[in-house]
Amino acid sequence: MFVLPPPPRYPSQAAYNLAVANGQAAPMIETNNILTHPTGPEYQLVVGEGTYILKEDLHLATPPPHPSEAPVVNPNPLATTPQPATAGTKLSLLSFSSRSSAPFLYKVDTNRSTRSGLQSSIQEHPSEERPSGDFVPGSSDGGGTSMTGSARAPLSIGSAPAFGEGNSMLSPTATSKDAGKRRKPKNNIAKSNSSFISRCIVHENLTKRLQERPSDGYFAFANINRAFQWLDLSSPQKAEHLTKILFTKGHCLCHDINQTTKATNHIDLIMGFSTGEIIWFEPISQKYTRLNKNGIINATPVSEIRWIPGSENLFLAAHMDGSLVVYDKEKDDAAFLPEENGTHTNGDSEKSNGSGEHSAKLHVDKSVHSKNQKFNPVSFWKLSNQRINAFAFSPDNRHLAVVSEDGTLRIIDYLKEQLLDLYASYYGGFLCVCWSPDGKYVLTGGQDDLVSIWSVAESTIVARCQGHQSWVTAVCFDPWRCDDRNYRFGSVGEDCRLLLWDFSVGMLHRPKASSVRQRGSVSSRFASPLQRAETQNTSTSRLRSNSSPSYESDEDHTVEHPVEPRATTAMLPPVMSKVVDVDPLCWLEFTEESIITSCKSGHIRTWDRPRDTTGSKSDTTLASA
Amino acid sequence: MSLFSKFKGAASGATSPGTNSPSHKHKKDVEPEPEITPLVKMLQNAGPIRNDGSDKFFGMENFGNTCYCNSIVQALYFSVPFRENVINYPPHSPLDTPNGHLPVVTPIRVIQNGGAVPATNKPKGISAAEAMKRRAAINAGQPVPATPGQRPEDKPDSPEYKKKHAMLAGPILELTYESASSYGMEESTFTALKDIFIALIANQSRTGVLSPQRFLEIFKRDNEMFRTSMHQDAHEFYGLVLNAVISNVEANAQRIKELAPPQDDNSLAQSMKTAVTSAATAMGLASGARSPGTGWVHEIFEGVLTSETKCLTCETASQRDETFLDLSIDLEQHSSVTSCLRKFSAEEMLCERNKFHCDNCGGLQEAEKRMKIKRLPKILALHLKRFKYTEDMTRLQKLFHRVVYPYHLRMFNTTDDAEDPDRLYELYAVVVHIGGNAYHGHYVSVIKTQDRGWLLFDDEMVEPVDKHYVRNFFGDKPGMACAYVLFYQETTVEAMRKEQEAEGLAEVALASAEAGVALGHPQPNGTHPASISKAVSIPSTPVDEHQEFVSLDHAVTAPLPVSPQMPRSAPPFMATPSVTALNVTKMKTKEDKEREKKESKDAEKARKVAEKAAEKERQKAEEKKRKDLENSRKEYQRTQAEQVRLAMAASKQSAADDEERRKREAAGAGTPSESSKENGHPEKEKEKDKSFGGLGSLSRAHRGSKSMSKKSFGFLGNKNGEGKSTDDPSHTAVEGESGPQTPEKHTKTTKDRFSFSGLGRKKSNLMNS
Repeated sequence: MFVLPPPPRYPSQAAYNLAVANGQAAPMIETNNILTHPTGPEYQLVVGEGTYILKEDLHLATPPPHPSEAPVVNPNPLATTPQPATAGTKLSLLSFSSRSSAPFLYKVDTNRSTRSGLQSSIQEHPSEERPSGDFVPGSSDGGGTSMTGSARAPLSIGSAPAFGEGNSMLSPTATSKDAGKRRKPKNNIAKSNSSFISRCIVHENLTKRLQERPSDGYFAFANINRAFQWLDLSSPQKAEHLTKILFTKGHCLCHDINQTTKATNHIDLIMGFSTGEIIWFEPISQKYTRLNKNGIINATPVSEIRWIPGSENLFLAAHMDGSLVVYDKEKDDAAFLPEENGTHTNGDSEKSNGSGEHSAKLHVDKSVHSKNQKFNPVSFWKLSNQRINAFAFSPDNRHLAVVSEDGTLRIIDYLKEQLLDLYASYYGGFLCVCWSPDGKYVLTGGQDDLVSIWSVAESTIVARCQGHQSWVTAVCFDPWRCDDRNYRFGSVGEDCRLLLWDFSVGMLHRPKASSVRQRGSVSSRFASPLQRAETQNTSTSRLRSNSSPSYESDEDHTVEHPVEPRATTAMLPPVMSKVVDVDPLCWLEFTEESIITSCKSGHIRTWDRPRDTTGSKSDTTLASA
Repeated sequence: MSLFSKFKGAASGATSPGTNSPSHKHKKDVEPEPEITPLVKMLQNAGPIRNDGSDKFFGMENFGNTCYCNSIVQALYFSVPFRENVINYPPHSPLDTPNGHLPVVTPIRVIQNGGAVPATNKPKGISAAEAMKRRAAINAGQPVPATPGQRPEDKPDSPEYKKKHAMLAGPILELTYESASSYGMEESTFTALKDIFIALIANQSRTGVLSPQRFLEIFKRDNEMFRTSMHQDAHEFYGLVLNAVISNVEANAQRIKELAPPQDDNSLAQSMKTAVTSAATAMGLASGARSPGTGWVHEIFEGVLTSETKCLTCETASQRDETFLDLSIDLEQHSSVTSCLRKFSAEEMLCERNKFHCDNCGGLQEAEKRMKIKRLPKILALHLKRFKYTEDMTRLQKLFHRVVYPYHLRMFNTTDDAEDPDRLYELYAVVVHIGGNAYHGHYVSVIKTQDRGWLLFDDEMVEPVDKHYVRNFFGDKPGMACAYVLFYQETTVEAMRKEQEAEGLAEVALASAEAGVALGHPQPNGTHPASISKAVSIPSTPVDEHQEFVSLDHAVTAPLPVSPQMPRSAPPFMATPSVTALNVTKMKTKEDKEREKKESKDAEKARKVAEKAAEKERQKAEEKKRKDLENSRKEYQRTQAEQVRLAMAASKQSAADDEERRKREAAGAGTPSESSKENGHPEKEKEKDKSFGGLGSLSRAHRGSKSMSKKSFGFLGNKNGEGKSTDDPSHTAVEGESGPQTPEKHTKTTKDRFSFSGLGRKKSNLMNS
C-alpha cells in the first residue's frame, strides 16, 4: 500500500514556532517568512525624479516538496522526464481604499459605446469603500493586481458592454443580486480532506488582525512553489502570513482578485495550477471550489488567469496548449468538445493565400454566445498550439493582448471574439504584456531581451527598448508618472535587473539617427517588411525552400504584421537600470508609494518612491547625502 | 559480454540489415528483454529509409573520454548543408553513382558481416561492456550518484543502462576501415568524417551505434594534444576538425591541380574539375569566393568580423576584417546569449600593456576597439566561455553562470553595411558539458533533427526529448550540466512558423504529460500495456517489399566480400554524370534525375504514400496517447486500492519499476534540503563578484583566442592583412553561379579575379604554389 503518513498539522504557525523553539517538534525545512531591511547604496535606485530606497525585503519560505510528490530535482542532469511547470513568485495586490488611486488620465472613448453594457450586478454590489459603482479607479486595486494591473480597468467599466452581453443564458442569477450575501465557494479549505490540498495554516489571530488593520493597507497574495500565502503588507507583522495553503501536487502559477466583488468581508480569488486545475478561493471565509477538476476541460497548465473586468463570475484562463478559456466560478464542469458551429476568425483570408496550416489565428471552439451555457466552459478559444505566456485586458475593457511562446502578440476584441492584429517578436517568445493606462500602447517583453512598444491604433511597432541583459519577464506602466504625452514604465528580467523607461509620443516619432545612415545599403528592404526580404534573399537556398510567401494578404485589413527590421525601428534606452535582487525577477508592480518586485526564490522587495514627488530635485540631493 | 555483443552484431549483419529481431532473440538468453527504447518507438512506422541521411539516429561509441568527439560529430552530422557537402565532395565520390547510395552499402555490410574480425585485430578493441565500465569508472567522481552495491548500468533508468542496451541492440558500425582512396583523396580527418557520414547514410537501420575508431585515430595522428585519453575540450576539437576539413579539402584540390589531367583515371570529368579547381586554388581562397568544390566549408561556417580601431591620439579609425568559424563569447551571471554577444561587440579600450600600434601616429597609442559582424555565416557556432583561468592562472575553472539562450536569434552586433543584418537563426544543436571543471566531465549533445524533433545524443545512447529539455542547460540546474557550444542555423520566419505549427501536437501531448507528472500519474511513456505489446510485436524498422528489393539490388551490384577500396572501380562509368556536375547544386538535380530513371517511379510513389501513412499513424498514436492518459487519470481517481491493483499489474512492465522507484525515493526524500537555497545567496553573491573581478583582466586575453580557428584559418592562406576590402560580395555571387559554365569561361572569370585580388594576397599565393 502506498498510504503515506498524514502530513503534520499544526493548529497555527505560532504554535508551531513555539513547538520548534521548545524542541518538541523537529524543525521542518519549511521555514517562516523572513523580513529584512537591507540598507546601503546598492539598495537605492537613482532616477531623475529622485531616489527610490529599498524599504524592506520579505523573503517567502519555499516549501519542501510534498512527500507524495516526486522530487523535482533529479540527480541525473540528463534525465528526460518532463518536469512540472513552475512560475516564480507572483503577487496579487489588493486594497479596499481609493486613496491610492492613480491620477486619472484616461479619456473615455465615448464614440465607441454607450453605457448600456453595464452589468446590473455592478451597480448593486456593496460600495461602502467606493464613491460609485461606475467609476472605479483601477489603482484602488493597489495599482492593479499583477503585471498588467495598474493600467487595468480604471474608468472603463461603464464604457464597454459586458462580456457575453445579449446572451440570456449568461445573465446573472437572481441570487447574486443579494449583495449582502455574496455567494461563497462550497468547501472549507482548513477542514478539507481533498487530495489536492495538503494543508492550510490560518493565523491564529486572523480575525483580530483583519479588524485592526488600516483600511487602506495592501493585502498581497503570493504563490511560491506549492505554497500560496495571504499577507498583509500594511501590518508590522507582515512576515506572518494570514493564511498559507500548501497544495499536494501542482503549483499555483497565477492568480487574480476580482476587483468588482471585493469587499472587506469578501474577496474572490482565482488560482491557476500547473495541473490545469483552477481554484476559486474566498480567503475571509476560507472556502474554496475546484474548477476544471482533474483537467476535465483542459489538462494543460494554466499560465495566466484573470477576472473579466466588470464581471462577478467570469474569468479567463490561458492554458499552455494555446487555449483561452472563459469559466464561470459558480458553474460545474462538463467535459468539453468543440462546438459544431465553431468559426474561424480571420481565417478565411489567410487560407486564400495558401498558408493553410497556420490559418486560424483565433479559433472559436465555443462562443460566449453559445446557448449551451449550463456548464463550464463559458467560451473556449484556441489561438495556436503554442504556449500562451501572458495576457492582459485593455483599460477600456474591449481588447485583450495575448503573448505566446512562439513570439506572437495578438490583439483580440474579446467581446466580438475577433482577432484584430497579430505581431511578431524580433525573435524568441514573448513572456509578458501590459497596456498603457490610456489603452493606446501595449508593452511586451520577451526572449529577445527587448521591451517592445506597440501602438494599437496605428497597428505598428513604436519602439524597441534595449537595456536588459537577459529575458524580460514582467513589464508594467507607472500610472503615477504617466500623463497624456509622457509615459513611465518599468521592466524586470532574468538578469535580476529593474529598468525604468520614459518615452514621450513626440520623441518616439523621431526617426532613428542610424537608420538614416544605413539607408544606402538596405534601401531595398525599407519598403518591404522583413519576411519578404528574407524570402527574396534566400529563395535559392535549399534551407529555405519550404518558405512560401504567405504574407500577401496585406491588401484588406492587415491582421498579421511582419517583423520590422532593426534599421527602421526606434531604439529607446532606459533611464535607470539596476540589479535589484540576487535571483531572476519575475514580477513588478507600481503603487502610489512604491515599486514592488519579486524574484523566483521568493524575495518581495518594496522600493519606496522619492519622499517628495513634487520637489524631485531636492530629493535627489537628499538621497545622495 | 564483449564476445556476445560482437556475435550479436555479426548475427544481425547476416540477416537482413535493419531488422533487429534476431538481436532480440539473442538478448533473451542473457538479459531480460529490454523495453523498446523511446527512440525506436518513435521511429515505428517511419516508412522507408531516406537516402539523405536525415533519418539516421545512431549513437557513437565512447572509447574512454572521447565524448568530445561524439558530441561534435553528431552536431556536424545534423547540419544539413554540412552533411550534404561532405557527402558530395569530392564530386566524383561513390555517392554520385546514379543510384545514390549504391556502392557505399558495400563497405558497411562487410563491416557488419565480419564485424568481429577486424575489431579483434585492432589494438583498441574495447568492447561495449568494457567501454561502459570505463565510462562508469570515469564518471565515478561525477555528480551522477551510483547507488553503492549496484552497478550504474543495472539501474534501468540510468544512462549507463541505456547505453549498454544501445550497444546490445546494435547494429554496431565498426568504422575501422578507411576508404579515402575511393574518394581520390589521401586519408585525412575529412575522409574519415566522410566515411562516418556515408556509413550512417548507407546503413539500412535507423538506429544503432557507430564506432568512430578510424576517425579518432586519424584525428589523433594529426593532433598531438589529443593523443592522451584525457578529457578534452569539445570546442577545441570542433575548431580543429573544421580546420582539418578545410585544409584537407584544399590540399586535395591542390593535389588534383598538380596531377596532370591524363594521369587521372576518370578522364573527362576529372580534367574538367581539375581545370576549375586549379584555377580557383591558384588565385587563393581568401577573397571569400572559392572554387565551387572547395569553398563550401567557408560558405557554411565562415563569417567576417570587422574590428574597428580608433586611435585616441590622432582620431584615425582603421578597420580590419577577420574571418571566423565560431564566436567565443564571455559570460556573465544571469545574462542571455544576446547580451553576451552584445558585450562581445562592446567598445574596448586598448591601453596600458595592450596599446594599439597606430600607423598614422607611428607608435603605440591608446585606442578604442570594437568588433562587429560584417558577414553572417549560415551556421553560427557560439562557444560559451565557461572555462576560465583562476586568478593565479594555474587552473581552468568552470563558470556556472546562468546564461539563457533562445530558440531563435538575430544578431544585434552587425556592421551598418552588413548584408541581411536581420537574419533569423534557429538553435539546432547544443553541446552540453557536464562536470565541475575543465579537466573532467562528459559531453553530450542535444540536437534538433529535421523532422523528429529534439534528440539527446549521449555517446551510444540516443533518446528523443521534448523541446523544453533544451532549456535544462542554462547553467543553474543542479547536476553541473551547462550548454557549452550552441549551434544556430539560418532560417526564415515562414519556416519557423511552419515548424511551430507542427510542434503544436507534440506540445499538447507534452503539456498533458506534465500535468500527469504533477498529478502523480504514471508516465504515459511505456506504462500502458497496450502500447508495449504493440511496440514489441512490430519490428522496429519496417522493411517493406520495396526496401527489400533495393537491398537485393545492392547485393547484386556490389558483392559482399568486397574491400573498402572496391568502389574505386566505379568511377569510369560514373564519368558521364559528373561531367556537367561541377556545381554542387546542379549536380544534385542531375543526380536526382538519374535516380528517378533508375528507381521505378512506383517505388517513389510508394515511399511517399508510406510516409504519409506514417505521418497519419503518428498523429493517431498521439491522439491515442492523450486519450490513454486521460483514461488513466480517471482510473486513478477512483480508489487507492484500484491504483494499487493497477500498479501490481503494471509491475510486470519495467515502467512500473520506474514508478515504484520514484515512490520509494519520494518516501526516502521526504525532506530534502531544498531550503539550503536560502542560505546560498551570500555565497552566490560572492562568487559573482569574484567572477566579475576576474572578467576584466581575462576577457582581453581570451578575446585574443576568440578564434583559434580563425588563426589556423589564416594559416591556410586566408589572412587578409590590414584593410582588407577585397571581400566583394558581388564576386561571391559571380563565383557561386559560375559553376555550370564551360571551363574556359570559368577559368577566365577566376583569372580576372586573381589579378584583381592578387596584390593583397601574397601570402596565400605562397601557400598555394
